Amino acid sequence: MQSYLQLNGVTKTFGDFTALQKVDLAIDKGEFVTFLGPSGSGKTTTLMIIAGFEKATCGDVLVEGRSLSGLAPHERNIGIVFQNYALFPHKTALENVYFPLQMRGVKHPVGLKNAADMLELVGLKGFGHRYPKELSGGQQQRVALARALVFEPSLLLLDEPLGALDKNLREQMQIEIKRIQRALGVTTIFVTHDQTEAMSMSDRIVVFEKGSIQQVATPLEVYHKPRTRFVAGFIGESNIIEATVVDPAARKATAEHIGEIEYAPSEFSLHKGTPVTLIIRPEHIRLSRDPKKGRHNARMKVETIVNYGDNALVIGRVGEQSMRVRVLGADVVIIKEGEDCHVSWTPDSVYMIAK
Amino acid sequence: MDRFLRLIGFLVIIFIAAPLVIVVPISFSNARSLQFPPPGYWLGYYQAYFSDTDWLRPTFNSILIATATTVLTMVLVVPATFALVRHRFYGKSVADLMMLMPLAVPHIVMAVGYYSFLGNLRLVHTHMGVVLAHACLSVPIAFLVLSANLKGFDRNLERAAQSLGASPVQTFIHVTLPILRPGLFISALFAFIQSFDETVVAIFISGRDAETLPRKMFDSIRQEADPVIAVISTLLFAAVLLALLTPLAWSSIRKRLRKRPPAAAFSGG
Repeated sequence: MQSYLQLNGVTKTFGDFTALQKVDLAIDKGEFVTFLGPSGSGKTTTLMIIAGFEKATCGDVLVEGRSLSGLAPHERNIGIVFQNYALFPHKTALENVYFPLQMRGVKHPVGLKNAADMLELVGLKGFGHRYPKELSGGQQQRVALARALVFEPSLLLLDEPLGALDKNLREQMQIEIKRIQRALGVTTIFVTHDQTEAMSMSDRIVVFEKGSIQQVATPLEVYHKPRTRFVAGFIGESNIIEATVVDPAARKATAEHIGEIEYAPSEFSLHKGTPVTLIIRPEHIRLSRDPKKGRHNARMKVETIVNYGDNALVIGRVGEQSMRVRVLGADVVIIKEGEDCHVSWTPDSVYMIAK
Repeated sequence: MDRFLRLIGFLVIIFIAAPLVIVVPISFSNARSLQFPPPGYWLGYYQAYFSDTDWLRPTFNSILIATATTVLTMVLVVPATFALVRHRFYGKSVADLMMLMPLAVPHIVMAVGYYSFLGNLRLVHTHMGVVLAHACLSVPIAFLVLSANLKGFDRNLERAAQSLGASPVQTFIHVTLPILRPGLFISALFAFIQSFDETVVAIFISGRDAETLPRKMFDSIRQEADPVIAVISTLLFAAVLLALLTPLAWSSIRKRLRKRPPAAAFSGG
């Protein structure tokens, strides 16, 4: 089946520097996909190539099977929300939203009506006559969103649009953007370096690092089955354990400080003696005074306890292996820094990632 | 301490503003030459200015030359500024330096240069000659003003316009130009004032036919110290004041007009 948006071997080099290395990606119609990665990982470059502001050194971008490569940005019918919103300061909110319709030759009464309807959809009814500088950050964001959607673009690109907002407003806007995107069913690419944003909003996450894609998967898959060490480290916290397979049939490996450890089923082909990297998420580990029955137990010496109120991070060592355990706030009272305790987990929370 | 500083600030302002203000009463004086304080007041010198072709002709010359200079300057400076601010090319830093050169070279040196250069082209004592020379002096000033504006221009605005379906030309007309309009206006105003005000080059090359107002004033003050000079200074002063205050007044009026009854209360979010 043909995908709605397709990137085929998109590569971008600046002189000697390779910003993007053969990026292949397929996105379905109506999907909300997040490009996640640290700054300089290539996610924004990819976005700019899709929008037409950068030219790919080689490779192609296709929408519904048609190549975009010959089209200038204004011929692509792609809506973009920029990080700083890029609202036209000399136009009112309504005129900003009307602008793309004006460029498409939609005449005044109809165009202004459509623009006003779109402002209402983003929750800004009655704000049309205000200039951008008379609006709050969140309101400017909504205007930018309305402007990028009013002409029914084939694609909506959001370039770190929530970066400039404070925490509460950001959470509110995450929900808003999701609601509007669902209501219109527009295929959306959202660029961010914030993993919680990516987790909470996306149908699928594309993790970028150093100009190439590390993993494309649903938020839960990316979290629970990170394909690479980078993904495991970038999304959530992980305890990373280097081990060697001892019995592939029984899914058993041995690690230097923990000893024998059983892991969850994995798609890798393994033999006795294969070196592997295992991860355990800190919230999948339990802390107790005594060993727990039916779980894998180890003794840990507690070094630091960081309290967050509703939960706490306990950092310690099993032998020389550093361990992080996330516990509920109430549970942390059983333990003090410098003491020994038991940590335990079940085999299905031990995931294997590619070497 | 705070009061003391305020007093000093006030004195400095008076020191700077006094010569500006002093010409106003002199222009209404009935003395036969420049004299302060005036012995008595009348409007005779205003009448003299507006009825004497020896004064009106240089005034029109100056307006004509300054207008032509402004047009020529902007035609040169707008594309040059876009090129120098937005693009990298071989020899850019040299080009940058050349644009600003006329600011660094003393006017008297430029004037001597123009005198012989334009002489060879038979343009001395012509309007065209003065316009060419004045444009050279206006270019760096207009360039400085406009490039500061253009550097502060958020290019995402142009990208946004293009993503919304505006062609490069439409983007320029609907977004770039309106946002840069104040910068362009001030840049042109400075070019105009530079030419209108310029004396040294005008003395060398304007001659009788293209005689400008500052040159006429200079000649007059040397020969007879005619109080008409104070009249002209006062009128110029008033014109500048008007030019500066009009936009301020306009924007505050517009703001008041746009303020609507608080039907749509400002809900946060």
